[in-house]
Amino acid sequence: MTIKIAWRNIWRNKIRSLIIIVSVSSGLLAGMAVISLYEGMMRSRVRTVIETETGHIQIHQKNFLNDRMTEYYIPNPQLISDHLKNDMSVRAFSERTISEGMLSTASGVSGVSIIGILPQNEIIVSGLDQKIKEGFLIPREDINGILIGKKLSQKLKIHLGQKIILTVTDSAGNLTSSAFRLRGIYQSDNALIDEVNVYVSQQSIQAMLTLKNQIHEISVLLKSDEQMDECLRRYKIKFPDLAIDSWKSLSPETNLLVTTVDYYSFIILVILFIAISFGIMNTMMMSVLERRYETGMMMALGMGKYKIMYMIILETIFLSIISIPVIIPMALMTIQYYGEKGIDLSGMGKDMMYSFGFETTIYPVFPIEKLPSLIILLFITAIISSILPTWKSVQNSPIQALRN
Amino acid sequence: MEKRAKQSDTGIEKLNSKDATVIDAHNISKTYNPGGIPIRAIKNIHLHLSKGEFVALVGPSGSGKTTLLNMIGGLDQPDSGSILINNTDITRLSQAKLVKFRLHHIGFVFQSYNLIPVLTAQENAEFIMLLQKIKKFKRNERIDMLFQAVGLSDKKNVRPSQLSGGQQQRVAVLRALASKPQFVLADEPTANLDSEAAFNLLDIMLKLNKEEGMTYIFSTHDQRVIDRVKRVIKLVDGEVVSDKITDIL
Ligand SMILES: Nc1ncnc2c1ncn2[C@@H]1O[C@H](COP(=O)(O)OP(=O)(O)OP(=O)(O)O)[C@@H](O)[C@H]1O
Ligand SMILES: [Mg+2]
Repeated sequence: MTIKIAWRNIWRNKIRSLIIIVSVSSGLLAGMAVISLYEGMMRSRVRTVIETETGHIQIHQKNFLNDRMTEYYIPNPQLISDHLKNDMSVRAFSERTISEGMLSTASGVSGVSIIGILPQNEIIVSGLDQKIKEGFLIPREDINGILIGKKLSQKLKIHLGQKIILTVTDSAGNLTSSAFRLRGIYQSDNALIDEVNVYVSQQSIQAMLTLKNQIHEISVLLKSDEQMDECLRRYKIKFPDLAIDSWKSLSPETNLLVTTVDYYSFIILVILFIAISFGIMNTMMMSVLERRYETGMMMALGMGKYKIMYMIILETIFLSIISIPVIIPMALMTIQYYGEKGIDLSGMGKDMMYSFGFETTIYPVFPIEKLPSLIILLFITAIISSILPTWKSVQNSPIQALRN
Repeated sequence: MEKRAKQSDTGIEKLNSKDATVIDAHNISKTYNPGGIPIRAIKNIHLHLSKGEFVALVGPSGSGKTTLLNMIGGLDQPDSGSILINNTDITRLSQAKLVKFRLHHIGFVFQSYNLIPVLTAQENAEFIMLLQKIKKFKRNERIDMLFQAVGLSDKKNVRPSQLSGGQQQRVAVLRALASKPQFVLADEPTANLDSEAAFNLLDIMLKLNKEEGMTYIFSTHDQRVIDRVKRVIKLVDGEVVSDKITDIL
């Protein structure tokens, strides 16, 4: 019966209840939107990192990542590539010869990372061809071709076909330079990368460094993310003398972002729900004060304080969760729709998103495993909002309440 | 005040006259202290009610009727004296126990706005029985009978806002006595009614007093109501100045 009374009480002042229901709904919607946008951004960021930057796993000589010296190349790369070719979990892998160097043109100079690639491998492993904005991917036999990022081309005002000089220190410690022609300008989602990474054929950088088929990096793309931990473990056992890293350690900022985003969306939710809870509390307070006579009478008749309190708590909870069965499916459907269609945020500052390494189209995803905690959070909000009104509802003794 | 051992139709089997006592208030006093000036609202009152009695409490405004009824009903505590309801001294009960005691032993009718607006007439009448956790079929049986008795059978499923003031008070009386309490206590139950509705309510109270042997004590200002009541207790300045039994009918 207390449930019945509580339920009917929330419909006594329809407008007021509606305001609360609407505000809880909008809070819930906003919360879910924030979570899904973040989740979408994170997932796409992780995809971008894996598919265009690091791959799932990279293999280096033990010292290479700390100190990118030419002599820290991978010994016996053939052994590793044979192993990877026979590994069922591997989709593709790419071997790279890397050197720090200096890029100079008629208009300026810039420090760069020169990456010697086998272009056809990079098509699969890092999607390099997809990133070409002007010109084209250097063909395998093109030993004079170079690709640079858009950011760098803007900085140095270089155009396709222009001559570029690369200067490196070879394995004997001599400074050597070679001339290249700009064949293509690429743009990734990460401006930081676009400013420093330049691509040439593996052959030409090996020649400059006086290396013979030596490589510094093997980037491995797996068939699925789930296989990563297992592969990581296997490779570490198989190649104990090499450094085996996952994207998580190669791009720690991305990994940190993924872990902190959960935390941020939780904080945003809490702030949202605190705002909602003030609304709920205020409404319940009004409702309780208006009904002082009535609650006094109920207590006089023999309804205990706890029953009255229970009634008020129930009313608050009803008001708070009544919209769930409508709003949550609605929100999930909307998120699903935009998850497929994508939300274009380029209007909000394409450059800003790009410079942080994010794509400008977000595909929101609601992590369904977070739904229970969202509902629990709403429940807690309701209960917290009901504390003061509940306490107030039993403050007056029956005769005080009945006197007016 | 002499003891009145009146026999009611349901109390006959109990030979001991003490068992027929419903209210035994002994030497109760109550002083209010608003802003430091003491007001002696009730002065050393003795009150004795037996089962089946129908008692009106009268007196000028401020004479202490409400104060006295609140104390008998366990809503307020006297400063001194004892109030025995069916041999339980309610002045010694804790607040929590008093709530339970009121629920199980005392029926209340207030001056107005007695009903819970979100419940139907039937649900309001059942309210006490529901709190007492009485089984549904028992409740229904009782409610059907009572609504029939007061001629409100067709209004059972109607909300209080759709009932007249008199009808609301009748439902309140039904609620008070549906669970068969020791007595029904009413503070000016007819005050907000026109005289026709007031008489109607009184008729119903009298009818249920006769048919069920329900004990009533209520306050009133209405002389025409007073004229139809057998026992009338008059208060002036917190003291009983007369306690008369007139034979009517
Ligand atoms: N809570 C209170 N605080 C202070 N004084 C009070 C309080 N309640 C009642 N009184 C005083 O006690 C006296 C008795 O009041 P009470 O309400 O019992 O009279 P009453 O007979 O019911 O009057 P009425 O016919 O107007 O309802 C009055 O002088 C009143 O002012
Ligand atoms: Mg009064």
